[in-house]
Amino acid sequence: MSELQVDSRELEEVVLLYPRGFINAHTVRLFEGEIQKALDRQRFKIVVSCAELRYIASAGLGALMGVIEEVRTNGGDIRLADLNETVRNIFEILGFNHLYRIFPSEVEAILSFREGGETGGKRA
Amino acid sequence: MLRVPSRTEFLALVRDVTRRMAEAAGFDGGVTEQIALAVDEATTNVMEHAYGGARDRVVELRYEDRGEELRVEVVDNGATVDRRAVPRVDLQRYATERRTGGLGIHLMERIMDSVTFRREVRQNVCRLVKRKPVGAEGRRA
Repeated sequence: MSELQVDSRELEEVVLLYPRGFINAHTVRLFEGEIQKALDRQRFKIVVSCAELRYIASAGLGALMGVIEEVRTNGGDIRLADLNETVRNIFEILGFNHLYRIFPSEVEAILSFREGGETGGKRA
Repeated sequence: MLRVPSRTEFLALVRDVTRRMAEAAGFDGGVTEQIALAVDEATTNVMEHAYGGARDRVVELRYEDRGEELRVEVVDNGATVDRRAVPRVDLQRYATERRTGGLGIHLMERIMDSVTFRREVRQNVCRLVKRKPVGAEGRRA
């Protein structure tokens, strides 16, 4: 059984990533790789839709931290949506909810990019 | 006790076993997930730092339900990592300096009631302790 699968799609300028499973030290390279593919295509508006993300360890959080400055410098942002309670708790424990905008749904996260607010570190 | 090879593909097993031990000790769902994360982080630290990524070593995990608290020890016989060298977490600086280290220990310390490191004879021991909520003390794993 694969512990992590990351599907992606593009909707206009927004890249949507769908991690399914667990992001930890074992699987994080796959997650990083999918983010990097978006950056390589000059896509800096990224929504990580976490409905099927069951668990994220610091390796995954580090992957987000490692690129956020580059993303925001290029006028984009990484926004998160649909976090389950476990994942949301981890974000809150580390204070990531103050660095990343988190939305209840993928649609709201996508729409937030159309509202003009490009870069943001505040919680929605 | 659980002994696993120093390979990250075993982190899922460590997480599952830890979650079950925490459940058996009387912790509820959200806390069991957090304890599992803390132990995942401690095990990852051993694999990446004490063993430097070597895949042919062993990580030992000792679980002890002490009635009022759950104690987990993560034991290795690799290099001793100087915790003073681990940076304190400042998220704004992390974002601007592209730093990603130190998050694991920070998470462990935020989740557990105590996280201590000691050196025994040829072993490093990371002890993680989580006190039980009132009413769950009588349950033992």
